[in-house]
Amino acid sequence: MGAVGQVVAGRLGGEWRRLVRRHGWTVGVWGLLVLLLLWYAALIPRFGPFAIASIAKNSLPTAYLAVSQAVVVIAGGIDLAVGSMMVLANCVSALLMEGQSFGTTVLIAVGVVAGATLLNALVGWVIVTSRIPDIIVTLATLFVFGGAALMVLPSPGGGTSGGLRFVFTGSTSGVGSNYWPSLVALAVPLAVLAAWLGRTRTGLSLYAAGSDPNAAYLSGLNTRRAKVLAYAIGGAFAALAGLAVTAITATGDPKFANAANGTLNSVAAVVLGGVALTGGVGSVIGAVAAGVVLFILKPILTAMAIDPNTAQVIQGLLIIGVMMVAGLLELRRRRAG
Amino acid sequence: MPPRHPAPPHLGTDVSQRPPLLEARGIAKRYGSVVALRSADLTVAAGEVHALLGANGAGKSTLVKILAGVIPADAGTVRVDGAQVALRSPAEAMRAGLATVFQDPALIPDLTVEHNLRLSGLEPERIRPWLARVGLAGLDLGAVVRELPLPVLRLLDLARALAHEPRLLMLDEITAALPADQAERVFSVMADWRAGGRSVLFITHRLAEVLRVCDRATVLRDGRHVATLVPGEGGESRLVEAMLGEVAAVTAGPARAREGRTEAPVALEARSLTSRGSLRGVSFRLHRGEVLGLVALEGQGQDRLFEVLSGARPYDGGELLVDGRPFRPRSPFDAIRHGVVLVPADRLQALLPQRPVRENLAAALYNRVARWFSLLRDEEDRVRRVVERLAIDVRAQRQARRLSGGNQQKLVVGRWLVGGFRVLLCFDPTRGIDIQTKEQIYGLLRELADEGAAVLYYTSELQEIPLICDRVLVMYGGTVVHEQEAATADEATLLNAAHGLQEAAV
Repeated sequence: MGAVGQVVAGRLGGEWRRLVRRHGWTVGVWGLLVLLLLWYAALIPRFGPFAIASIAKNSLPTAYLAVSQAVVVIAGGIDLAVGSMMVLANCVSALLMEGQSFGTTVLIAVGVVAGATLLNALVGWVIVTSRIPDIIVTLATLFVFGGAALMVLPSPGGGTSGGLRFVFTGSTSGVGSNYWPSLVALAVPLAVLAAWLGRTRTGLSLYAAGSDPNAAYLSGLNTRRAKVLAYAIGGAFAALAGLAVTAITATGDPKFANAANGTLNSVAAVVLGGVALTGGVGSVIGAVAAGVVLFILKPILTAMAIDPNTAQVIQGLLIIGVMMVAGLLELRRRRAG
Repeated sequence: MPPRHPAPPHLGTDVSQRPPLLEARGIAKRYGSVVALRSADLTVAAGEVHALLGANGAGKSTLVKILAGVIPADAGTVRVDGAQVALRSPAEAMRAGLATVFQDPALIPDLTVEHNLRLSGLEPERIRPWLARVGLAGLDLGAVVRELPLPVLRLLDLARALAHEPRLLMLDEITAALPADQAERVFSVMADWRAGGRSVLFITHRLAEVLRVCDRATVLRDGRHVATLVPGEGGESRLVEAMLGEVAAVTAGPARAREGRTEAPVALEARSLTSRGSLRGVSFRLHRGEVLGLVALEGQGQDRLFEVLSGARPYDGGELLVDGRPFRPRSPFDAIRHGVVLVPADRLQALLPQRPVRENLAAALYNRVARWFSLLRDEEDRVRRVVERLAIDVRAQRQARRLSGGNQQKLVVGRWLVGGFRVLLCFDPTRGIDIQTKEQIYGLLRELADEGAAVLYYTSELQEIPLICDRVLVMYGGTVVHEQEAATADEATLLNAAHGLQEAAV
């Protein structure tokens, strides 16, 4: 009875401590984000609603992409095309929304999200059916979607309605001090997704498919469907990122560098946010915080009058540093346990 | 031995007269050119505990996987309560009333117990009584599966299967990792299940358990159904006979001078070697010039023993000596440096499949700094000599993976000939190899032994023992339970010892 007894006794160890341990990474990343925000607030002379609104809206694309990537990685995949999906959504929406009323632009936005969802579901279907590794298929779609964006909108242009700009930026002109709309635009879809992932059978099946596809299959789960679903959700969030770009800039920009940057940042956010690239571990909430952390480095360095290009170096070092600290903590926990 | 559980009275005593719950007919399965099941039949009556037996490779696991819906059968039909069912996925098998507890618990390691149960469509309230039934009443549902020990996971998996209330419960080697008191619980659950008019299919290597808890036993051999028996008085010998078939006429190899081998110096010695959970005090001596056979059923610690000897895992108790000096390898690299080298069963694990034959053979030399500079000439010579000696077919030498399995295995052995060694560890090296190459490998190992090498030879094919070994050890439950001269070792004796039947060891 030794082993069983131990497990039963472990229950007395405290619900709270275990919760912190299990979500330790998410808590840590949010803590890091808060620290960086405080630091930023101390650095600039007038920290107020305007600065908050600026961060809130400008970090939206990175945050959405982080969620998009996190869902796919949790289910055991990886989507290198999230960046170009964002650019494609940006170009299509800017092209169609120019000169339209608020009502029409909302309809277009819904259509763009739906289209991206279906398109990425198709990508997921190709992956599970053909058994070509995720990384190869999505490397291909990175170029396909990037090229499609250029076909839709060969040079920067287009526009959108003031109402839609308000939804993502809190101001019809894109510049202002109202940060609530940006926060709501991120928090609502994020909360819905996080609740669904953690509480429903289908949501959990995404974790199962990523953690141990074989055990998941033996437990009677449909692992293929779970993966297709993950890609579909990823597509929806990439489209939201594209719409946020349209709202912030009021234009569509098909530059491929934006797509590549978006993808790389999303992978970085996922790693920093505690989502294991091997699948099955982590949360979208942690990935979002990490996305914002990666974004905020640049304004901080600017405020410190350091060349913003240094931000990339620091970003890289930060990822390595966090991973090493996490590995060290895990090692200590195992020794102690 | 406690009394057998009585059969439920309302169903009568002769199980074979009852209506069949499960009827599988002519199940066949092949993987490429390997036939796993030729034509397997299995009939399980309602209200019985039925054992499924067979030697390693007889097709038990394949049959269970087919019945569990994990893999599709190539041919054959399955009926449940007389109606034919299609088993295209585990979910479908479960709907047909067949639930399986696999050897490796089918639980998601990164999720909590509760999440795992929800995934199977079970609310915590519904599983509670079943957890209590298997002795896990106090289990913390918030614990992450990865952090729970294997016996707990087995029982949890069992509780989950029970909660689906299947007509037929299939238990694949469930007692293999369970302490005795927990095994007892499983047996009592099995008896309950039978009393309720439902059935259990019990796959095990432990004949003593079969004698105790099973009403009937079906024996498979070479992918075929050979017998369905009632294990009763004197049942074990009948079961062993059925598993072996008519005692095969083993072609006796050329008579060898084996005298005096045990007087030769000891090359490798283990003294009460332990490794957590798997080895419980393994002791043996391997002399120079000797091929020492090792036999065991699956999961008796032989895998761990080879891992420890080859440096892949540390041991945590006892002593290990090579040529009389303490030996505690920190890694396979370290073990190889001390001359202890491994030929694993999975050849591709040892080879560099995309690289040419020559590099594969010379790989053992690359470790030596002195050779980094003076490699090529000398390497070619050595490699050529080994290729000739082993008669390796080098027509496809540009990539090792294109060679046949037999030639690949020769490459693995040949690598150590190029590099030199003291002790050769062979783990089932002839698995899936054609008979001609097998004989070449036997011959080679004998030759090496005659030249003074020490060889430890684990095999899953008992008939190999008298062909190449001098002595043979039998492992059971993490220790060596039996030792004898290979020349006098017949399969029945070895198999009895391997099943942990003490009287056979006399």
